[in-house]
Amino acid sequence: MAAVIDVRDVSIALGGHPVHRGLSLSVERGEVVALIGGSGTGKSVLLREIIGLLRPQAGRIELFGQPVVGSTAKQMNALRRRFGVLFQDGALFSSLSVEDNIATPLFEHTDLRRDTCRRLARLKLALVGLPPDTAHKRPSDLSGGMRKRVALARALALDPELLFLDEPTSGLDPISARAFDSLIKLLADSLNLTVFLVTHDLDTLYSIIDRVIVLSNGRVLGSGTVAELKHIDDPWLNDYFAARAQDGETLHGN
Amino acid sequence: MTEARAHFDDAQGALVASGAWRADSAAALPNLAGKSVRILDGAGVTELDTNGAWLLLAAVRPQPDDPLPELRTFQPRHLDILNLVARHRAATAAEPAPRRLGLLELMGRKTLSTGAHIVGLLDFVGRLFVEVGRLLGHPREWRWREFGAQMGAVFAGAIPIVIGMLFLLGVVFAYLLGDQAQQYGANIFVVDGIMLAVLREVSPVIVAVLVAGRTGAAITAQLGTMKVTEEIDAITTLGLSPLAVLVIPRMIALILAMPLLVFIGDLAGLAGGMLVAQQQLDISASMFMDRLGDVIRLKTLVVGLGKAPVFAVFIAMIACRMGLAATRDARSVGANTTSTVVQSLVAIIILNAIFAVTFVRLGI
Repeated sequence: MAAVIDVRDVSIALGGHPVHRGLSLSVERGEVVALIGGSGTGKSVLLREIIGLLRPQAGRIELFGQPVVGSTAKQMNALRRRFGVLFQDGALFSSLSVEDNIATPLFEHTDLRRDTCRRLARLKLALVGLPPDTAHKRPSDLSGGMRKRVALARALALDPELLFLDEPTSGLDPISARAFDSLIKLLADSLNLTVFLVTHDLDTLYSIIDRVIVLSNGRVLGSGTVAELKHIDDPWLNDYFAARAQDGETLHGN
Repeated sequence: MTEARAHFDDAQGALVASGAWRADSAAALPNLAGKSVRILDGAGVTELDTNGAWLLLAAVRPQPDDPLPELRTFQPRHLDILNLVARHRAATAAEPAPRRLGLLELMGRKTLSTGAHIVGLLDFVGRLFVEVGRLLGHPREWRWREFGAQMGAVFAGAIPIVIGMLFLLGVVFAYLLGDQAQQYGANIFVVDGIMLAVLREVSPVIVAVLVAGRTGAAITAQLGTMKVTEEIDAITTLGLSPLAVLVIPRMIALILAMPLLVFIGDLAGLAGGMLVAQQQLDISASMFMDRLGDVIRLKTLVVGLGKAPVFAVFIAMIACRMGLAATRDARSVGANTTSTVVQSLVAIIILNAIFAVTFVRLGI
C-alpha cells in the first residue's frame, strides 16, 4: 500500500541555520507514528513543512501520493480536506463558541445547512468525550484539557484520513494526558485514522504508538518500536530513555 | 471515488444507499417525508465516515433517541462507524434557533451595557486618582523609562503626519479664504483668518483626532493584548500596579506631547497658508509675517494649546480603560480598539463645542 506521508531528501535552513539536511521518512496508512528529538531538532518545522505551511528549500513531500511542494492552491485545498491538524495550544478561534469552532470546517467546505453543521459539530464533541453543554461555551471558559479535546474535534470535523498532532499532551496534567492518549488511540482505531504526532511525552510513546521516528542533526536517526530504539547508541536517546527509567525508580521508592 | 446515491425502496421500506458517503453527500438523500423506513441497506456503500453515517441515520430517524432501523448488508467497518455514531447521537438533537431580540429588549440591553460602561469608566478614574495620589508620596516609583519610550512613540513618531496634515489644511484654508477676500480686495485679512482658524480650532482638533486614531488605538490594542497574554496579571502578581506601570506613563506622555504637537501643527498650518498667500494673493512672506505679528494675540495661541492637554487626558483615559477592559479573546481586543477611537472622537467634538461656547460667553 502506498505511503500516506512520504518525505524525501528534504533540506531547509531557517535564518541561515540548517534545520533539515536530506531528511527522509514515510508513514503507512493506519499507522500511529510519533516524531521525537531534542529541542531545536526541527520537529515542529518538519510538521509545518508536511502540512504545507513552510516550504522546504530542497526535496519532495507527498501526502496521499500528491506533492505538497509545488501544488496549486486548488490542489492544496483539496489535500487539506483530507488531513486534520491539532496545534500545540489548540489554536481555537477565541471569538467563536465551541460549537462554531468545530463547525467552521463544515461551514466552509460543505454545502450542508448551518444547523446540520452544528449538529455534526456536536457529534464530534461527543466523540471526543465532552458533555453537550460545552457546545455553547467560549474557548476561554474551558480548561487546557478540554481545549485540546475541542481542537481535536475541530481537526476531525471533516473526517480526515490523516491526523497531525503537535505535542498533544503538553500542558496537561498526567491524568488528562493519559485520557487524551487513550482518546487518540480509540479514535484512530474506530475511525481508521493515520496519526502523525510530535511529542516529548514518554508515556504517550509507551502506550499508543506503533512506531517512533527520532530526529537528530537534521536527519532521521532511527525508526522503530520503543524497544528497537533502545538499541541505538546515541547520547540524547540514552538520556531520554534514562529519564523514564529513573522516574520509574522514584515511583517505586515512594 | 464513486458518488453517493440513495433511493427509497417502497416494497421493503428500505433506504438503499451506495457510493461514498461523506459530509457533502447530503444532497443525495431522497425526500423521506411521511415514509416509514424500517431498513437501512448499505450493500453498495464504498466509503462511510462519521459525517456520512450521521446524515444517513438522521434521514431515517430524525429524533436522535428513536430506535435504530435494521442495518442491512453494511461492511463490518461501516457498521462499526454507524454504531459509534448511533451511540453519540443523543448529543446532536436539533436545537431551537436562538431567539431574536425585540427592539425594546435590544434597547434595554444596550442601556444596561452603556450604564455598566460608564460605571466602569468612573471606577477607573477613581482608581487612577488614588494611584496618582499614592505615587505623589513615592516619587521613586514613577516609571520614567516607560514614560520616555511612550514619549518617543507618541510625540516623535507623530511629528511627520502632523506637519503633513496641518500644512495641507493651511493651504486649503488660505485658498478658500483668499478666493473670497480677493473679491473685496481684502487680501491681507486672509492672514488674520488663517491665524485664527489654525491656532484656535484646526490644529488642536486635527491633532487630537490624529492622536486618537494613532496613539489611542495603539494603546488599547497593546494593553488588550497584554491582558490576553496575562502580562497584566503578571504585573499585579509581582506586586506592581498596572496603573502605575502602564497607564500613568502613557497618560503623562500624551498630556505633554499633545500641546507640543499642536504647536508644531500651528507652525505647519501657518506655513501652508503663507505659501498660498504668496502664490495666489501676492502677499510676500515678509508681509505675511508683519501682518501676523500685528494681529496675533497670546490668548489665541494659549486657547489652542490649552485645549490640547484636556483632549489628551480624555484620549488617554478612554484608551487605557478600554485596553484593560478587554476580555481574553481576540475579538474583544478588536472591538475595544474600535470603541476607543469612536469614544475619543466623540469626546473631542463634545469638549471642543463646550470650549467654544465657554470662551464666547467669557469673551475670550
